[in-house]
This record gives sequence, structure tokens and C-alpha cells, in this order.
Amino acid sequence: MEITGADLVRAAALLGAGLSMGFGAIGPGVGEGIVGGSACEAIGRNPREAGLLTRTMLVGQAVSESTGIYSLVVALLLIFVV
Amino acid sequence: MEGIGKVSQWVFHLGGMRIELNSATLLMTWLIMALILVFTVLATRRREMVPGPWQHLSELLVGWIKDLCVDALGEKWGKRYYPLICALFIFLLLCNWIGIIPYMDEPTKDLNTTLGLGIMGFFIAHGTAIWVKGPKTYVTEYFKPIFFLMPLNVVGEFAKVVSISFRLFGNIMGGSIIIIVVSYLAYGLILPPFLYAFFGLFVGTIQAFVFTVLTLVYIAVQIR
Repeated sequence: MEITGADLVRAAALLGAGLSMGFGAIGPGVGEGIVGGSACEAIGRNPREAGLLTRTMLVGQAVSESTGIYSLVVALLLIFVV
Repeated sequence: MEGIGKVSQWVFHLGGMRIELNSATLLMTWLIMALILVFTVLATRRREMVPGPWQHLSELLVGWIKDLCVDALGEKWGKRYYPLICALFIFLLLCNWIGIIPYMDEPTKDLNTTLGLGIMGFFIAHGTAIWVKGPKTYVTEYFKPIFFLMPLNVVGEFAKVVSISFRLFGNIMGGSIIIIVVSYLAYGLILPPFLYAFFGLFVGTIQAFVFTVLTLVYIAVQIR
């Protein structure tokens, strides 16, 4: 069994997909954690505003998640298209 | 595992052009439109002072979204735009929830649906901006704070469309891929029902809400 150029490209694409997802998940993880922790502190100080804070927290987390989603899309492209 | 990355298509040949239609997305979108019609007919069939269950549910939803719109856009524009925002939210909610029924696909698993909705939000936000501020003020806003930052501002506006549509698509697509992979590993025994509940109901609700709120925020940023 010989290793041809196409096999190398496939291997590099799969490796790139794994690296993209792994490194891309660091930022959103840290960001969502910070947002969630700050929201917990704010609700602890001001429990009446819990509904508004939860809503704002979810939107902020979804926005900070977008880089992770980009890396997911890149990984999917590398796996299924390349 | 063979279900990943497969798209069912109808292919036509029309005058030398090749036309591809994503059949699952189209059928599911029509099904969801039918469901929304049934829901609205049930909700408005017998309107009374003491509401029945369907009318009560719809009043709760519409009232909540109307409050959200009036908070973000102000009294005048909030009342003008809340039917759009409400329709968007109900459509996306049903789109994301229909995946928990076996053999049903989410239309939002297709990038065409989410990108279409994102482009719709883009045109609505910028049309509103031109309507409210007038074309001259609208164009000069791009040359602030310094004139050579204009390309960055334009790219920033297009990046909003890409980020909002890819976020919804990536969440739903990633959820369905995780469900397929875990079902393959666990032979559909214990975990998949919980995963369907988590990705379909929880993540689906949050992402539908986030898409709606971000469209609302983009409109609100433009009219301020």
C-alpha cells in the first residue's frame, strides 16, 4: 500500500479540522465563562433584574460563541469538501 | 454515520441550466408554514374576553415580543416592527423544534434558509435607516469618525449578515452531527433522547431567540 498525494491531502485536512475545532473552542469557552460569571455576580447583587440579566447574558454568550461556530464551519468544510 | 453531510436534492434541467432544489428543506419549510397557519387559525378562531388555551398562548407570546420591540426601538417603531419580529421568532422556533420528531429535518440545518433570513434582516435594517435618517445622513455615517475608515464600516455591515446566519446554521448543524455520531456509538439506546431534548428544545429555543434579538438590535442600531 502506497501513500499517494491525495492521501496526504486528506490526512492534512482531517488534522486541520481537529486543530481548528480544538483551538477555536478555547476563546468561546473562556468568553462564555466570563459572561456567565459576571451575570451571576450581577444577579447576586440585584436579584430583581434577573430576567433582563439572563436575556442579556444569553445574547452576549451567543455573540461570543460565533468564533467557535466559525471554526466548526471551517472544520466541516475541511472534512466534507476538501 | 452515512447521514452526515448528505443533502437530498431534486435536480431539473431547464434550457441548458441545471437547477438544484434542496427537497428536504423545501418540504419542511412548507410544513412549518402550514403548522403556523393552523396555530394562528386556532388562536384567532373564537376570540373572547376570557381566552381559551390557544388564544392565551398566542397573546402571551405576542405580548412578550411586543414589549421586547418597544424596549429596543421605542414606541413608534416598535409597534411598526413587532409583527415581523414575532413572525421571525415563531418561524425559527418551529424550525428548530421540528428536528426532535424522527425523520424530520430542520430547515435551519441548510445554510440557504439562515442566509436568506440574514439577508432579509440586512435589507430591512438598512432600508429603515435610509427611511428614518434620509439618504445623505445614512451615507455620511459611513465616513465617521475618519473618512478612510469607510471600507472597514462597509465590511463590518456585511460581516453582521455572515455572523448571524452562520451562527444559527452552525449550532443546528453541529447539534445534528453530534446526535448522529453519538447514536452511531451508543446504538440509539440511552443518550440520544436526552441529546435530542438538549439540542432540539434548549439550544433551538436559545438560538431562535438570539437570531430574533440580533435582527432587532441591528434595526435598532440603524435607526438611532
